[in-house]
Amino acid sequence: MEQFLNDNMYVIDLGELNTAPEIIFELSSILDKDEVKNKRICLKLGNVDLNQAQLLSIKSLITGIDSTLSCVDTKSVETEKVALSLGIIVSNISAENSMEVAPTMPYKMAEELKEDITNTETEENEDIVEESDISEENLNDVIVEDNENLTSEKIEGASENKEDNEFIQQNSQIEKEVLSEEPKETINSVIDNKIITEATKEEIQDELDVIFGSTPSQTVFYDMENPSEVYEEREELTDIIVPEQEYTKEDIELESFPTKYIKQTIRSGQVINYEGNIVIIGDCHPGCEVTAFGDITVWGILSGIAHAGAGGNQKARVRALKMNAIQLRIANCYSRRPDSLNTVYVEKTNSFTPEEARIVNGEIVVFKMND
Amino acid sequence: MAGRVIVITSGKGGVGKTTTSANIGTALAKNGHSVVLVDTDIGLRNLDLLLGLENRIVYTLVDVVEERCKLKQALVKDKKNPNLCLLAAAQTRDKSSVSAEQLKKITEKLKKDYDYILIDCPAGIEQGFQTAIAGATEAIVVTTPEMSAVRDADRIIGLLEAADGIESYKLLLNRVRPNMIKSKDMMSVEDVENILSCQKIGVIPEDTGIITSTNRGEPIVNNEKSLAGKAYINVARRIDGEDVPFLDIDEPKDIVGKLKKFLSGLKKQGKE
Repeated sequence: MEQFLNDNMYVIDLGELNTAPEIIFELSSILDKDEVKNKRICLKLGNVDLNQAQLLSIKSLITGIDSTLSCVDTKSVETEKVALSLGIIVSNISAENSMEVAPTMPYKMAEELKEDITNTETEENEDIVEESDISEENLNDVIVEDNENLTSEKIEGASENKEDNEFIQQNSQIEKEVLSEEPKETINSVIDNKIITEATKEEIQDELDVIFGSTPSQTVFYDMENPSEVYEEREELTDIIVPEQEYTKEDIELESFPTKYIKQTIRSGQVINYEGNIVIIGDCHPGCEVTAFGDITVWGILSGIAHAGAGGNQKARVRALKMNAIQLRIANCYSRRPDSLNTVYVEKTNSFTPEEARIVNGEIVVFKMND
Repeated sequence: MAGRVIVITSGKGGVGKTTTSANIGTALAKNGHSVVLVDTDIGLRNLDLLLGLENRIVYTLVDVVEERCKLKQALVKDKKNPNLCLLAAAQTRDKSSVSAEQLKKITEKLKKDYDYILIDCPAGIEQGFQTAIAGATEAIVVTTPEMSAVRDADRIIGLLEAADGIESYKLLLNRVRPNMIKSKDMMSVEDVENILSCQKIGVIPEDTGIITSTNRGEPIVNNEKSLAGKAYINVARRIDGEDVPFLDIDEPKDIVGKLKKFLSGLKKQGKE
């Protein structure tokens, strides 16, 4: 019997057994082990037909050791029905693939997203079919779980983070911590969400938001420069379905975060952790890791690993003058650089189009400044 | 199944340990063996770059050692060859984060599931080297036909002989330039063998294709035309136990050279 451990989930493979007594016998011997205790257990059953009494006894065996039977994988229709009647989730557990955590989805560019939307209207999205051999539900489950652990570790390792911070501080003396406590007061005083969007956006938004966000002031600015081009682009891009950006608790959280200001090039092997927003004036070379609870803004070329919203904030964003990141992580979403984008060096020119990565429908999408 | 654990080491840096690891690993996987490449060069990892897997790494060797993830989770599958896996080194840490015993434990685990475990050793003879050789039973000493590299290889062979686990070691001569050997500007393959009194497992000619393949993140063994690629494939077959004759690397590439070689061959025949 093979047992696969997915952090707090325990998969027990009983797919080769053909009778109910065999299963119960084998299971009881497995459940004796300490490692199975206090876990969410997934059972892999083969073609066996189990009746309600049998499945109930299996369930009670598992609950007897303080674990819960969270899902069942079976080929038999009978067993599936019984499991559903008992309120147990029935899903396909792909043992080998469930172990794989490497980000399988490359991050998308806004143009691709647009193509995807047109594709999905006509036929199923090919990308998704190719990329995920396992059922999507499963993949998501695993990734989410892993990330939960990841973030919890981050919090546990807060003391380590502080050490890292000190290291960085030693390196550069030009750092400043900006505590933006002002927004808190204004936000607390405002009750209605709508009022927040209008009243505080003007007051709170810092310079970067003016540059990157699609606020009206920005459009005016660009209309004045070359109106025709921008307008054409905007008309095209209206096809992209971007969920309406409501002003939520997460936005308030982002704005209440303190900000770390770093004015140096972040090189390979350097780690920056901060429980707030990070602003880096300089390049982030491949092999570096920047982790922030809030937004990450790089005034330069971002080529390393960036993890924004490490505390779980889905609204966190990664911004850079040139986005070439090996991996982007926002909250609990992972994505890797598309292999097609295999650029060894980014040419340093004076004409960058700033880019911003954010979560759209559970995927990380990179937007150009005007998207 | 008990896999073979082979460490690829050199002493001197820049002689081609990582390139050799990537290429032998890929060649072995192509021949149908299951292979894990373990990068022990913590803090200066490059193996992922050579295989083009840089963007897929989430967990590293250090994460496995510190039990932040399961061993299986940290193994990154190759893009093309499902038989090939990479266990990457952490870039943000240093050599002291993994001890010899910890690496030995990991190789013992990997042995059960894979045919070959190739360990890419860091340069130097300090802790990193001692860690890398801990789990291995065989070693490949990479050197170039330069006095400094040969001296360092000699030192390494001495250390390998003194180490407990290493049962056999072979020499791999890298970046050989036949033309320079002819004009006696470079030590010949035989010279190096004599100096080190060590059996060779392969001779790899200097190839500019290596540079492009490194930059593209694709091992040169995937390029069937390349002479270096062929040489690496032969090395992999020799590791596997096949008796493969050594490649004739001093094949001149220009037409004049080819003609000369042909004529000299005729002359020899005439004399006989």
